Amino acid sequence: MIRIEKLSKSYGKHNVLNSIDISFEKGKVYGVVGENGAGKTTLFKCIAGLESYSGQIHSDFEQLKDVIGFLQTEPFFFSKITGEEYIRLLTNARHVSLTNLKDKNIFDLPLNRYASTYSTGMKKKLALTAVLLQENQVFILDEPFNGVDIQSNLVITEIIKKLKSLGKTVIISSHIFSTLTETCDEIFLLKAGEIVKRVTENEYSNLEAEMKAVTIGNRIDQLELV
Amino acid sequence: MKDYFQLQHKMLQRKWVDFGVPLWIAYSASPILFVLLSYLLFEKLNYAAYIYAVVALGVVSKMSEPNRNQFLQSIFSKREYTQLRIIENIIVALPFTLFLMFKSEYWLAIGLSFASILTALLKLKTSTNFTIPTPFGKKPYEFTVGFRNTYFLFPIVYGLTFISIQVNNYNLGIFAMAVLALVCIFYYAKPEDKYFVWNFNRSPESFLIEKVITGMVNFTILTLPIIATLSIYFTDEITITLLLFLLCFAYLIAFILAKYAAYPNEINITQGMFLGISLVVQPILIGLIPYFYLQSVKKLNPILHDPN
Repeated sequence: MIRIEKLSKSYGKHNVLNSIDISFEKGKVYGVVGENGAGKTTLFKCIAGLESYSGQIHSDFEQLKDVIGFLQTEPFFFSKITGEEYIRLLTNARHVSLTNLKDKNIFDLPLNRYASTYSTGMKKKLALTAVLLQENQVFILDEPFNGVDIQSNLVITEIIKKLKSLGKTVIISSHIFSTLTETCDEIFLLKAGEIVKRVTENEYSNLEAEMKAVTIGNRIDQLELV
Repeated sequence: MKDYFQLQHKMLQRKWVDFGVPLWIAYSASPILFVLLSYLLFEKLNYAAYIYAVVALGVVSKMSEPNRNQFLQSIFSKREYTQLRIIENIIVALPFTLFLMFKSEYWLAIGLSFASILTALLKLKTSTNFTIPTPFGKKPYEFTVGFRNTYFLFPIVYGLTFISIQVNNYNLGIFAMAVLALVCIFYYAKPEDKYFVWNFNRSPESFLIEKVITGMVNFTILTLPIIATLSIYFTDEITITLLLFLLCFAYLIAFILAKYAAYPNEINITQGMFLGISLVVQPILIGLIPYFYLQSVKKLNPILHDPN
């Protein structure tokens, strides 16, 4: 279990996260939604320990960061490193020995090619594969469906379900609401650095309607399209 | 096009400022430093002019990076792009050309100018299908990436070792080893994205030890052909060869630790100065290595340990 208490983060005078209180349980999938700039990525980085913050994060693990697999929105790749070497870099870092990589290449990626030459979707799939092979207990997936083809979207959805069944904690953010409703046990709505709503499965349709109303409103009419 | 060069100038100034060098020092010290290093090279080496020209071409070729040039091609017309590339290559090669002329190496100076123009006209493409094989794939990334970026230097370095036997010049063989060490040290010049350090489930101490051991093993793999050749053909000098090899190790360790002592920033001016001094006064490495080690541990602690 991960318990976050009064987590705040600011860059200079700009408050990005404001006294966040949430907890994540083992074997559950959590979604975090919010507009661009709402603070989702910063929240994820704070949980992972990649950003400093004020407040407390408690967990059952001796060292939380060592059991977190973090898929970044835009994973970084060195210019001349192959897909296989990228996976090795990340698994070596966690002392995980890599065997039968060919069988584990479920997205059929060209692992002997330089990762920097991959398309956006392929890069995302490579980074996800590496994070999965690290044998983590907690997964933070920042926009895992972004730029990924429809077939792989289905695979990723099934992976998340599998992780849940294995008792892992999964925290995801996505702008594709249907992917969240299909996989999440709970969804948090983050607005201007604050959790303004916590929604469970039976309230998802209300949340979607509410978000549409608030987000879209009469903005399209403002365009005065003819 | 004028805007482009003004922007390049601004970017260069920002790099100096980020590196902690006041602009007035940069403008006054860099030409002096350049001339001093050039003098030093010509003083110490027999074929300095040729090596100098190769170094100059290496610097010029940095401007031919395919992604960079594809971007320039997309924003400038074909004519403007060609003019711009020729001008920037000439500007980069100019200090080297002038020094070669000062040394009365007129043919080399002309050759360098032509080669710079030619390099600007060449269209390099990134091959997506060919991957340069390396012996370091099991333990990425520094030597894996570095080897692929500098693969063309290895035949030259090993060739120099071969020539050192042919002409019975031990110093040339040692020079080849020193060049190789310098190349490998540069593999550690840029700090990696924080994510790649954060991923390690080790203490800062274990992380650093692993980085140093990997560096030493990989450097040994690359240097082995030179060490073996020199040991066989210059048996009397074997002690010196091994001592110099150990000195290369010491520099490699110092640079790896300096990188993490500055992490996540690049090596700063003070650290750079200490490393520079160590090139002349080698015994300071004995104090410098533990100092950088302690600084590295301090810098890595917040990344490799949970804040709570």
